[in-house]
Amino acid sequence: MEKLLVIKNLCKSFGDHDVLKNITMDINKGDVLCLVGPSGGGKSTFLRSLNLLETPSSGNIYFEGIDITDPKTNIDLVRKKIGMVFQHFNLFPHLTILENMTLAPIKVLNESKDSAVKRAKELLNRVGLIDKIDTYPNMLSGGQKQRVAIVRSLMMNPDVMLFDEPTSALDPEMVGEVLDVMKELAREKMTMVVVTHEMGFAREVANRVAFLDDGVLAYENSPDAFFKNPDNERLRNFLSKVL
Amino acid sequence: MENIIKALNLNLIKDDRYMYIVDGLKNTMVITIFATLLGIFLGLIVALVRTTYDNTKKLKVLNAICNLYITVIRGTPVVIQLMILFFCIFTSRDVSGVMIAIIGFGINSGAYVAEVFRSGLMSIDHGQMEAGRSLGLSYLDTMKYIIIPQAFKVVLPTLGNEFIVLIKETSVAGYVAVQDLTKGGDIIRSRTYDAWTPLLIVAGIYLLLTCIFSALVKKLEISLRKNEKRG
Repeated sequence: MEKLLVIKNLCKSFGDHDVLKNITMDINKGDVLCLVGPSGGGKSTFLRSLNLLETPSSGNIYFEGIDITDPKTNIDLVRKKIGMVFQHFNLFPHLTILENMTLAPIKVLNESKDSAVKRAKELLNRVGLIDKIDTYPNMLSGGQKQRVAIVRSLMMNPDVMLFDEPTSALDPEMVGEVLDVMKELAREKMTMVVVTHEMGFAREVANRVAFLDDGVLAYENSPDAFFKNPDNERLRNFLSKVL
Repeated sequence: MENIIKALNLNLIKDDRYMYIVDGLKNTMVITIFATLLGIFLGLIVALVRTTYDNTKKLKVLNAICNLYITVIRGTPVVIQLMILFFCIFTSRDVSGVMIAIIGFGINSGAYVAEVFRSGLMSIDHGQMEAGRSLGLSYLDTMKYIIIPQAFKVVLPTLGNEFIVLIKETSVAGYVAVQDLTKGGDIIRSRTYDAWTPLLIVAGIYLLLTCIFSALVKKLEISLRKNEKRG
C-alpha cells in the first residue's frame, strides 16, 4: 500500500499544555480515516498539523516522501496537494461562488480562466449548486456553503482531503447533504482524513477509525472492531456517551 | 447690505483678487488628494509589516522601523514636520512647496492611516487566511486577493474621514510658502486691510468642502452596508 502521509513522534504544545503527545501514524493512499474523541483531545490540532496550519513542536510529517516539517520545504507547494475543509466553511465573502472556486487554480496552478471556469461548472453541477454560481456566499445556507467549500478544495485536484468537523456548524437537516458529497468522494477513492462527531458516517464510510484522547492516539481499528467491541476502556466509555 | 457688497467687491472683484481664493483652493485640493493617496500607500505598507510581524514574528527590523515612524510622526506637530522638510531636507529650490506639502502631509497621514488599516486587517476572521493558505496561496497572495480587499471595505469610511481631516490640516501649508486656500485669504487681507471678509469666505469654503465630502462618505457607508447584506 502506498503511504501518502507518514507521521512520526508528532508533539504539539501550547505553552506548557501538551495537546499532542508523540503521535505516530501512517495514512495510505485511498484511506478514509475518521478521527473521533472527546473535545480538547487534540483531533483538530492533529489534522491542522498535517498541512502545517499548526506548527508541530517536535516530530516529523512526511507527505509523499517530503518532510513538511523541514523549514526548508516550501509549504505552499505541499498545500496545493492537500485540500482542507473547515468547520466554519471559510468561503471568501467578497467573491462569488465561481470566483471562490477559480481563484487558487488560476493563481497557484496558473490554469487558464476558461479551463478553471469549465471545471468549476462541472463540480458545481455535481453537487447541485450550478444555479448559485454567480451569487455570493452570504446567500447560501450552511449546507450549501460547505458543499461549495468542498468543491473549492477539489478544484486544486488534491491528493488528500482534510475535513475539520465539516458538519458541526450545520443545522441538523443540512448534515446529510454534506455527508453525501463526502461519501461520493470516498467512493471515488479520494484519500480523506475526517475529524467528526458523526459516528454513523465513520462506521459506514471509513476504513479506519482512530480515537484521540488527551493528545494520545489511544486506539485505532477498522470501523467494525472499533464500534463493536474495542479493547480500550476510555473508548468504550466515550462510545457509550455518544452512541 | 451695501457694506457687504462693497466688502465683497473690494476683497474679491477688485484686481481679480478672487484668483487668490481659486488658486489657493486648487492647491489645497491637490495637496489633500495626493497626500491622501501617499498616506494610503504608506499606511498600507506599514500596516502589512506590523500585521505580518504580529502574526508570524517575521520582519522584526522593519517592524521596529515602522513603530518608530508611527511614534515620531504622531508625537510631533505636522507643522514642525513640514518645516523640517522645507528648511532642512529639501533646501534646494527645484522642489516646489506644493510637492513638499504633499510629501509632508502624506508621510504624516500615513502614520494615522497605518493604524486604521491595521485594525481593518485584524478585523478579518483568521479563517480567511487559513483558507487561502490551505489552497496553496502564498502569504502575500492571500493578503492581496483575500484579506486586503475585505479590510479595505471595512476601513473605507474611516479613510474618507481621514481625507476630510486632511482638507483642514493642510491649512498650515502656508508655513512652507505654499499658497493654499488659507494663505490665499491671508494675501487678500494684507492687500485690503479687511480681516473679516477673507477669513469668513475661507472658513465658509472649508465648511462647504467638509460638508460635501462628509455627505459622500456617509453615502458610501450606506451603499457598503447594503452590499454586505447582499453578500
